[in-house]
Amino acid sequence: MACCQSYIPDYFAITDILSTEERISCKIEVELPGLGFLDSSSQSEDLTVGTKVELPLWLAEPLKSLQNSVVSVDVPKIYKEGYREILEADAEVIVLSKWNPFYYELGMHVRKLSDRDYEIISESLLQTFKSRFQLVMDWSQNATSDPTLSIQLPRLERDLFLSGQQAKIRLVEWLKMGTNELVVSEITTNLKKRKREQYEFD
Amino acid sequence: MDPCEVEFLSEKELVSIVPNFSFDTIHLISGSVGPFRAGLPVKVPIWLAVNLKQQQKCRIINQDWMDADSLNEAKEEEKLSKLFTKMPSNHYMEEAQLLLNVASDDISDADRIKTAIKDIWDIRMSKLRTSIDAFLKSEGLHAKLDHLTAMEINSVRPLLPHALDQMLRIQTGGRATQSHYSGTSQ
Repeated sequence: MACCQSYIPDYFAITDILSTEERISCKIEVELPGLGFLDSSSQSEDLTVGTKVELPLWLAEPLKSLQNSVVSVDVPKIYKEGYREILEADAEVIVLSKWNPFYYELGMHVRKLSDRDYEIISESLLQTFKSRFQLVMDWSQNATSDPTLSIQLPRLERDLFLSGQQAKIRLVEWLKMGTNELVVSEITTNLKKRKREQYEFD
Repeated sequence: MDPCEVEFLSEKELVSIVPNFSFDTIHLISGSVGPFRAGLPVKVPIWLAVNLKQQQKCRIINQDWMDADSLNEAKEEEKLSKLFTKMPSNHYMEEAQLLLNVASDDISDADRIKTAIKDIWDIRMSKLRTSIDAFLKSEGLHAKLDHLTAMEINSVRPLLPHALDQMLRIQTGGRATQSHYSGTSQ
């Protein structure tokens, strides 16, 4: 199931790759010779201390966590207090995927970058998820609802929504038709056990 | 799990039939069935009852609880109670669906029974929805699901367990769930 893949942010998890593409504004803390091209507005060849550049998260994170950090990271505004307050007020009416299609995934990465806000961002993410869950559940229970709905949800909620919707469709089908044919479970088709007939023909 | 699979499980429940043929005991892995004597009621699993009924070899006797008046009473009780009330069978919905589909001519009042069961199902499903929402918002760590039947529990899967997993992930930073979910689905 789609949800399960994103459980493990491993090297090949596509959700993880896409969410860490997001550009984060960083401040250079150490003079970097020869990297002036990263900042298109500057003419010099070197990156000087205090320059602001936008780096993708996958680059910013290791640079920050070096023993003497090369950059200091600015938390994206959607995780800052102003936006957190909007979510606190009413999370359900916001089209969260417009803020960022990987709102939760990115949030889970970003909170690691700032020691001060770790707890607050976690709490905010959790509360947002909780208050929006009813919305996701209600939408998925109405199996015929329009297809644009899922675009309004960030990735994590969309996966939940789609799996819930599928289960609902199957339930409705069962209620309508009663008995229909059983299909072989995925688990048994993937079973690597020796089958008796193979054994006998050998 | 697919609803069909839940239905499959429910087919193990017993139901009384009156066969119109005579036959010895059938020995099956799950237990022996029979012997069948024409005209004498005997208890068989639902899957066998459905099969025999389709071949016109028996008459299905209604389950004891499948009675319009007592179901309507159960419905009223369900409406008044805040919690889930005990259902006569762990598979009431599936049994009703199966038996009423094949044997609506044997069961008197089939329509009223169907309506009553559908009403009970609807009430319980809406109760389930509100209680799930309350559960998530209350930050509770566990929920007691007394008297929920198999199909009802299945109806919130995989949405609820997945949502709870994601909540854990958000809380713990995605580290704790790793060992559990290497390669499994649902």
